[in-house]
Amino acid sequence: MKFGGTSVATLPRWQNILELVASRRAEGARVLVVVSALTGITDALKQMCAQTAADLRLLSAQAIAQRHHELLGHMQLALPETLAARLHDLAGLAAHGAGDLAWQAQVQAHGELMSSALGAAFLSANGLSTEWLDARECLEAVTLPNQNERTRLLSAIVDSQPDPVLSAHLEARGDVFITQGFIAREGVDPDDASNKGGRTVLLGRGGSDTSASYFGALLKALRVEIWTDVAGMFTANPRQVPGARLLRRLDYEEAQEIATTGAKVLHPRCLSPLRLPRVPLLIKDTNRPELAGTRIGPELREEAPSIKAISTRKGITLVSMESVGMWQQVGFLADVFNQFKQHGLSVDLIGSAETNVTVSLDPTENLLDSDVLAALATDLAKVCRVKVIAPCAAVTMVGRGMRSMLHRLNPVMAEFGQHRVHMISQSSNNLNLTFVVDENVVDGMLPQLHEQLVRAGAMRTDDADLFGPTWEGIYGAETAPHDEAWWLNERKKLMQLAEQRSPRYVYHLGTIRERARALKAKLPVDRLFYAIKANSHPAILRALADEGLGLECVSPGELARVADTVPAATPRLFTPNFAPRSDYRDALEAGVMVTLDSLHPMEHWVETFDGHDISLRIDLGRGSGHHDKVRTGGSTSKFGLPLDQLDAFVHLANARHARIVGLHAHLGSGVLEPGHWAEVYAQLASLAERIPSVEFLNIGGGLGVPSHPGEQPLDLDAVGEALAEVKRLYPRYQLWMEPGRFLVAEAGVLLAKVTQLKGKGSWRYLGVDAGMHNLIRPALYDAWHEIVNLTRFNEPATAMYQVVGPICESGDVLGSDRRLPESHEGDVVLIATTGAYGQVMSSPYNLRGPAEEIIIE
Amino acid sequence: MTTTIQPRLTQVFRFVRHAYTNGVVELVYAFDDGAELIEKIYFPEAPALPPNRAEAFARALQLLHLIAGVSYYKAGVPPTIEVAAGPLDDATADVLDALYLHGLAEFAYRNGLDLRGRIAFPRGGSAPSAATSLALPKRTLVPIGGGKDSLVAVEAIKAVGGDATAVWVGNSPLIAACAERTGLPMLNIQRELAPGLFELNRLGAWNGHIPVTAVNSAILAVAAVLYGYDSIAFANERSASVATLEYDGLQVNHQWSKGYAFEQLLGNWLRTHVAADLDYCSLLRPYSELAITRAFAKLTPYFDTFSSCNRNFKLLGPKPADRWCGHCPKCHFVFLALAPFLSKPRLLGIFGRNLLDDEAQSAGFDALMEYQDHKPFECVGEGAEARAAMFALSQRPEWQEDALVARFHSEILPQLDPALLALEPWLQPDAEHRVPARLQPALAIIG
Repeated sequence: MKFGGTSVATLPRWQNILELVASRRAEGARVLVVVSALTGITDALKQMCAQTAADLRLLSAQAIAQRHHELLGHMQLALPETLAARLHDLAGLAAHGAGDLAWQAQVQAHGELMSSALGAAFLSANGLSTEWLDARECLEAVTLPNQNERTRLLSAIVDSQPDPVLSAHLEARGDVFITQGFIAREGVDPDDASNKGGRTVLLGRGGSDTSASYFGALLKALRVEIWTDVAGMFTANPRQVPGARLLRRLDYEEAQEIATTGAKVLHPRCLSPLRLPRVPLLIKDTNRPELAGTRIGPELREEAPSIKAISTRKGITLVSMESVGMWQQVGFLADVFNQFKQHGLSVDLIGSAETNVTVSLDPTENLLDSDVLAALATDLAKVCRVKVIAPCAAVTMVGRGMRSMLHRLNPVMAEFGQHRVHMISQSSNNLNLTFVVDENVVDGMLPQLHEQLVRAGAMRTDDADLFGPTWEGIYGAETAPHDEAWWLNERKKLMQLAEQRSPRYVYHLGTIRERARALKAKLPVDRLFYAIKANSHPAILRALADEGLGLECVSPGELARVADTVPAATPRLFTPNFAPRSDYRDALEAGVMVTLDSLHPMEHWVETFDGHDISLRIDLGRGSGHHDKVRTGGSTSKFGLPLDQLDAFVHLANARHARIVGLHAHLGSGVLEPGHWAEVYAQLASLAERIPSVEFLNIGGGLGVPSHPGEQPLDLDAVGEALAEVKRLYPRYQLWMEPGRFLVAEAGVLLAKVTQLKGKGSWRYLGVDAGMHNLIRPALYDAWHEIVNLTRFNEPATAMYQVVGPICESGDVLGSDRRLPESHEGDVVLIATTGAYGQVMSSPYNLRGPAEEIIIE
Repeated sequence: MTTTIQPRLTQVFRFVRHAYTNGVVELVYAFDDGAELIEKIYFPEAPALPPNRAEAFARALQLLHLIAGVSYYKAGVPPTIEVAAGPLDDATADVLDALYLHGLAEFAYRNGLDLRGRIAFPRGGSAPSAATSLALPKRTLVPIGGGKDSLVAVEAIKAVGGDATAVWVGNSPLIAACAERTGLPMLNIQRELAPGLFELNRLGAWNGHIPVTAVNSAILAVAAVLYGYDSIAFANERSASVATLEYDGLQVNHQWSKGYAFEQLLGNWLRTHVAADLDYCSLLRPYSELAITRAFAKLTPYFDTFSSCNRNFKLLGPKPADRWCGHCPKCHFVFLALAPFLSKPRLLGIFGRNLLDDEAQSAGFDALMEYQDHKPFECVGEGAEARAAMFALSQRPEWQEDALVARFHSEILPQLDPALLALEPWLQPDAEHRVPARLQPALAIIG
């Protein structure tokens, strides 16, 4: 069991260790505890090494000793002999500072020597008889030909073949031991008779974890437990992807790959010693020992191939070498790589083509702060054309059997397709797939990619044996549980409605009002407009107008609907796209605020906008959202005025005395990232500062609605806080928003009845009387809608169906691979979250007629 | 309320009055008989003013009133300027006539106005008695801008053990972060423009660039007398004196108030009208942009904090894109000028992307090099400097395959005289500066 620096720094943490070790003893295990130095002590020792004056070093040594005395005081323990001896040694080292590397190693080793001595005393005093073990008696470093004095002493490597003699020796001594991480004994150098070994050496970064692994291998332990401050390894960096899932089980290779490509919880070095003796390693959270953690071992169990994790590394530099003439020449690659060796640069990824070889370099200090790259390029330029590409980031997906999952990566490829991919690397061990892209795009991409992997079934998070809870679920702030869907309480009424006639859409006005009130309460917006294209049912328009919302329209038809339905005083906004001139003219005549989104109308429609106040939709150059077809920013989208035409637009507007009173941007739909709108807001505000007439900023909608079970709803409080921060900085501008789907999606359900069932091979089709003519979102956007059999609501979901409609199209699939109870003709089926873009996007295709719409309060 | 006015049809711009109470300065202006425009400037933790500095303070304050008026005057550019307190002495009127004419030259050019003969401050007032020495404490106000220049100045003063305070006007989080990083004592002065100015903008006021460094200089002159500093050391470099373009016989310089002409005008005026021992100078005056970027390339601790980008980043994030827009002339110039002095991965790490490998930026870099375009209206170095930096990169294998460097090499370089492309001459300092003896050792540190 290994415990890190924060775990050994205070009395409560030691009490925790005591409990954990005792519990393992109770299970009958014999325990070796490996500890780091108290937090901050290793740094203090390093600083002490850097001091040249002996009296300053002695002062440092005293301060370090004091930390241990204080902790002893808290433990109410007298100074144990082992610790007294260490403190004495340290004072001696401080007084006679030799300054050389061997001395530095000896000084730094004292952090662990002292913490372990202290721990032995504490555990023994509390009823758990514990032997103090000097790690240097057990761990012997090997001497390797490419080592110099520094690497030999400060980043040593230990040979950890299982050692039955040591095991037997310890068995004779006791049941509980405590020893030091990070340190070992120098071995005898076979090539240098003068070096008899025996000096204290350090294991370098990640050293304590590695020590635990060495001991685990030497003793062929039942398992190695690394106790730390997180529950284990996750499917992605939880700071970037709060929905990352805990990985319950990994094999050594996968874990090593994940650790190497980004995860910080475990140093990649500490896995290799365990592989041969097949000792499993368990990562556990000291504060939450009840969590299962991550178990890394030799996996034999059969499982569906799945991507286990996605990680990113930044600061990568690519060196691309292009050569026409020399490629076939023997030794060309050897010469090229020799240059990297000459300049002390270590190559990571490699990609090659007939005339090009590209390699990646990690961001070392040497690379950043010296002329080494310039020198390398100069030497390489003698044999080929060199191009240095930076700053890049490597995005790596890890999972055994990567090549068999390629066909599932379509959406992931589409995501990468939006950016420059410099290099793709896939190792022959079939464990990873790495994309090297520009560094600046990677932060925004990672959450998207993670989500796409789950949605595409490439990361099989449905396998609860492999994937644990989300980071948010374990550590996230207590979020209010997602409101129960309204239809759960209205099942009887819905059954009756469906029995009368189907298919039918049912809209729950209470839910719509509640969403509107939540937005008004939580977002610091000055005006909200409902985007009526989401659902233009008159009762919904009236309900939202009653709530004080304005209405946003995109066509004369929608404007007419609004005029017929709500009081004339309801604020209206007209935001069309590629609409004819007459649409704008009519809207302006009706006194509606009009939004333009291209140069053409200003350039060519001479009198239309003269003297009018207008709003301008800008394309901020990027899009967001749950699907390609709902992203409305970036050059590939037809919406918005590109930024580089902004000056021209302002100039034309000035010439026509049209005042640009508002700026608008809307990047896409289904966004669940709470910082998104504040970012748009800040960007619009900084653009508005150039245009003195601007009075309001309309940051669009796109507020996401969760669809998958377990998906976290949008954190409106967080959205509001982020907006408020921008608002404080730009108080001059009114803030407008125009949500659509958010207000109505969850309020609507589509009711249908089962028509027929069919089996085809292992596939089972469940036919219902609603289809893509009623609800096109699954076919158009790959949208996922929850499907429930209301008739058999409480029966176990034992069948797996493809839920399909009656339309003569292969794409008429409302839900694939759905677990439902065994269903029968006439059962009532509910398709959830269909209040937005359901009926309004329906079509007469196949002439089956529209679904009826029912409003309930 | 007065009736709605048409800013562009106003006849008189009036300096109504100014006042100082408890750290707050009020500056009042008006057009014709329109509503008063009241600007406020807040000096934090202002000490009581020593009686022997009262006269100097009053004169510095009047100058601030006159200079800060430029933000409002430009809204209407009326033919007459009135100062309620009475006509100015000739020396003062000279400073203001020059500032309003040259400082608004770009504004006038862009709006198609000709200000010559239009700007005449009332003059003929009696000259005040010559300012005396106030025995101001020997310490320096160093304005921080968030960019590289002021940080080079700060580090030079720190290196010679000078007593200095990092000062800035306004609430930019970027500048605050940089000021914090300097480790110097900090002074943050707030300026609140008259709300009426936004109203004038809505009513169709003239709009454009104003000489903001002059306004900040006047604010700092007031601060120096109030808090007690004997010097104000800006970080304006040599190329700030070079005109952006000439139009109809008038030099148009975007950064005129950062130039040497204004430094001399204001510096001399402060000595004769405010305090004989108050120095106003620029510590970087002898140096080219390239000499300054070379000095800055050694200041690694600032790399993840500073930005010269002129997009107004009111929200700072951890990513380079949160500080560098990557599209404006400042981003282009600083990138290019730092490139010869930093390792390529380090430079690209600062900006988060490689601007020289992006075809879309070619027009921006062309303008910097004055290739097929004039120098941008921005505080950037001289065209010849940009060409020298680009030439240096085109000779280096780690850069020469990048799109814009390769393009320079094949398209632009053949049209240039190679003799004029060396980097080294740019690294030599000029002799011209007004740095007082006490700070001259810092000057030497930079070169």
